[in-house]
Amino acid sequence: MRVLKGADVEQVIRKSGGARVHVELPAKFKAGDRVVARNLHPLGHTRLPRYARGRRGVIDRDHGVFIFPDTHAAGTGQKPQHVYAVRFDARELWGEAAEPRQFVYLDLWESYLDPA
Amino acid sequence: MGKNHPKVDDYVVSRVRALESLLLEKGLLAPDAVDRVVRRYEASTGPMIGARAVARAWRDAAYRARLLQQPTAALADLGVRYDRLVVVENTPAVHNLVVCTLCSCYPWDVMGLPPTWYKAPAYRSRAVSEPRAVLAEFGLVVPQEREVHVWDSSAELRYMVMPMLPPGAQDLSEDELASRITREALIGVAEVTLPARAG
Repeated sequence: MRVLKGADVEQVIRKSGGARVHVELPAKFKAGDRVVARNLHPLGHTRLPRYARGRRGVIDRDHGVFIFPDTHAAGTGQKPQHVYAVRFDARELWGEAAEPRQFVYLDLWESYLDPA
Repeated sequence: MGKNHPKVDDYVVSRVRALESLLLEKGLLAPDAVDRVVRRYEASTGPMIGARAVARAWRDAAYRARLLQQPTAALADLGVRYDRLVVVENTPAVHNLVVCTLCSCYPWDVMGLPPTWYKAPAYRSRAVSEPRAVLAEFGLVVPQEREVHVWDSSAELRYMVMPMLPPGAQDLSEDELASRITREALIGVAEVTLPARAG
């Protein structure tokens, strides 16, 4: 078990690779594609917010490949995949009473998305 | 909510203390590690880094394009190693706002530690659902004709707003401009203003 000691902090932070994975993987989606966030309710860790589940949006950009937290946090594998910024109209998320001309851009892993 | 630091919920404070004690007790955390991490981010980073990048972008069109399209390289030009920043540009048509609804993700390396209100449930839930109302409470009224784009930092990318250059800034140096760019402007809850000129 590795324990972070005070003396190591600077070096660990400098070397920290983060969750980006430097592999070439085919992207399922591209900017402009219409998608729908899956209606997933896993018991364990997920980064798919409740407010977006089942909601339709448009791919704004592809951020590249990252470790998938749902499986990584559960110890069942890194499952690297593309992460996309997905644009949602506020009315899609909050209904017709939503503020006008408002959009939410949410970063979502490919496993959270289906084509719409 | 609002600009002044709200009192942090006692429950949150107690819970954090309990977690920290437990981690120390079980030997999973070295006693000085947390202090070192906090000190590192408090002392060596801060919003002045993001402000410098924005001020340079305002004065140099090529750097502006670089900061927007290749932020990692643009930050490296300033001697900052940070590979997960996305810079979103305010325009007359669009106002941007950054939040992390799931926790409190924040671009520490270019903006230092986040303000307490940014980490509070009120901001995290309302920024995505009623951003114009939230901005108005911060004193920023976004006209109806402008779109509001809210960036929820739900993955590994961190977002910073490039505010618009305020009117009347032509005579200011890059350093003077940087000193006017607050972290509130980089989060998106304020615009950059210049002090009123003495008549």
